[in-house]
Amino acid sequence: MKDNNPISPHIQIYNWHISSLVSISHRITGVLNYLLLILVCFWVISLMFGPENYQYFKIFSKSIVGKFFIIGFIWSYIFQILSEIRHWFWDMGYGFELKTTKITGVLVILGSFTLTIVLYLFNGVLI
Amino acid sequence: MLQATKKWIFQKIGSVIMVPFMIWFLINIISIFSGSYDEVINFFTSQPSKILFSIFIVSMFFYSALSISEIFEDYIKHENAKKYANLGVFLSSLIIPIITIITIIYL
Repeated sequence: MKDNNPISPHIQIYNWHISSLVSISHRITGVLNYLLLILVCFWVISLMFGPENYQYFKIFSKSIVGKFFIIGFIWSYIFQILSEIRHWFWDMGYGFELKTTKITGVLVILGSFTLTIVLYLFNGVLI
Repeated sequence: MLQATKKWIFQKIGSVIMVPFMIWFLINIISIFSGSYDEVINFFTSQPSKILFSIFIVSMFFYSALSISEIFEDYIKHENAKKYANLGVFLSSLIIPIITIITIIYL
């Protein structure tokens, strides 16, 4: 009997809406950010191996793949932040109307891309 | 209080602590990512970035472990598989930040 308990329906059952897109992206970026954080920790731990070995990381960080990695990293984190703020408002009881969920969903998506570009391009000014 | 309610409250506390530190880390990551070895070492070993980064990884691992266990709850049907998946995430969320913080202390 226990094995027959229902689990959540899989995403392919539903029609796609902004809300479902943001919802599944929130979960995907959540897992991705966890894995990226592990990589950040390994990066910090790798500093123990000294400046000679760090040259390999420098080559990676300056490469196209490295730039793509850091832009993807920033986008994934910003998406999670904006989506989490959206969840806070829900937790306080705001933003459940259909129109509002669509608007906030679009804001999360557009905001994540806009802030990624802004943060990457103007980073030297910010710090 | 229900176990699920407790978990939800911890998750929300975790996210409120984590988000400001995520923003701080994002603002800094681009420059240190392409920085020299000395610049990166200087960032992780000087204050306040040393303490801020430590709080950032602890809060984010804490939040992530709770969030990922929710995903396991929704999508993994077999109890044993779910148990071991949760154990793996729990152990990695405990061991990796500890090793990282010890590394920062001794850098």
